[in-house]
Amino acid sequence: MPETSATPEPILRLVEALHRLPGIGPKSAQRLAYHLVRAAPHEAEGLARALLEARERIRYCSRCVNLTERDPCAICADPRRDQATICVVEQPLDVVAVERSGIYRGVYHVLHGILNPMEGIGPEHLHIDALVARVAAGDVREVIMATNPSLEGEATVMYVQRVVAPHGVRVTRLARGLPSGADLEYADTVTLARALEGRQEL
Amino acid sequence: MAGRPPRTIATEAIVLRRRPIGEADAVLTLLTLAEGRVDAVARGIRKPQAKLRGHLEPVTRSRLMLARGRSLDVVAQAETVDAYLSLKGDLDALAVALYCCELTELAAPAQTPQLELFHLLANLLSALDAGVRPASAARYFELHLLSAAGYELQVACCASCGSELAEAESLFSAAAGGILCPSCRAGATGRLLSVRAQKVLRYCGRSGLEEFCALRMPTETDAEVRAALGEAVRTALDAEPRAAKFLDQLGERP
Repeated sequence: MPETSATPEPILRLVEALHRLPGIGPKSAQRLAYHLVRAAPHEAEGLARALLEARERIRYCSRCVNLTERDPCAICADPRRDQATICVVEQPLDVVAVERSGIYRGVYHVLHGILNPMEGIGPEHLHIDALVARVAAGDVREVIMATNPSLEGEATVMYVQRVVAPHGVRVTRLARGLPSGADLEYADTVTLARALEGRQEL
Repeated sequence: MAGRPPRTIATEAIVLRRRPIGEADAVLTLLTLAEGRVDAVARGIRKPQAKLRGHLEPVTRSRLMLARGRSLDVVAQAETVDAYLSLKGDLDALAVALYCCELTELAAPAQTPQLELFHLLANLLSALDAGVRPASAARYFELHLLSAAGYELQVACCASCGSELAEAESLFSAAAGGILCPSCRAGATGRLLSVRAQKVLRYCGRSGLEEFCALRMPTETDAEVRAALGEAVRTALDAEPRAAKFLDQLGERP
């Protein structure tokens, strides 16, 4: 291991830590580590401070389980939002995506994952019980399932529907079909079937 | 040039599993007609505009063109043969389909044609899609998967001495590979099976999938058969299927 012995111990530890991050391979980890130690001190210190601050100040919202600095989060605490409509998403980044659309005025519930029985991810690993508790507490009219249109997303939709429906709320899901710019010739059966089911009058 | 392997293969396959890798790629575990269980990379499949995306969802039967890669094959083309749409709209059927896909992945050796297993899984998915009782379909699949994988359970005669079984409660031993007669059961571990449960296992072995799924049995017999086959599968495959837990959780819900 000549390369390893030539690398100072603190850099090795940094490379190892960066390599543990999602999407960072060994080469990228090395590049990032060497960039950080060669960069101006304030750059690395700023990163370290931002990291610590985020870890210290960010927590889960006690209502929607989104990441927030204040509990309840800004969306849950906003009196202009419709508290009777809950949009259920897989990840905090999905909240950002739906907010970007600018048309949704309800609140959210973040599951922090998706059902994936083959990978051992069951309902107990998601925040489904917290959603059921919110619905059971009353005042919820509609639950909008905004999971990804994948097999696991569908399984999650059906499971949530099964546990939430007994409380008498309306459970809906986002429309599915052809994305803009798609080529009909290459569309798969499922997408085409869903697009036909969800057709709209002009 | 004569002995050079082909650079692409065209085959039908059932997508058993999809695991994300990198930014937008996925590694698929496929049960192919031509080569049995194969792992292949589907490039860019997680992008919303990916054309192959819908053809390569788990629990989908597709016609594929696989290009030989250095370590893993790469999916070059895909066209759906059966997407099993009704199955995917029923949570209980979908949970059984995922469980059976996982069992297939555990039982099928890599790069070895598994025709019997392929047709068994394809039949199961078609039957679930047609609306058979998911729990019975799972039991049928477990028993026949064991046969296809070379671990046929002895349920018609003693698994140890081959003698005929009397019509009485008997010991089912997963380690022994089936039901044991009173003289062979001394010292063996397992679970006692009622006469009715033994008959159900025998009927499961000789009937067709739809026929077996049409069979109505008391809840306690259902539980006995389920426990015995579950144990046999875990013992033969030496693994604890992860999807089994979700099936149990669905069963717990009213």
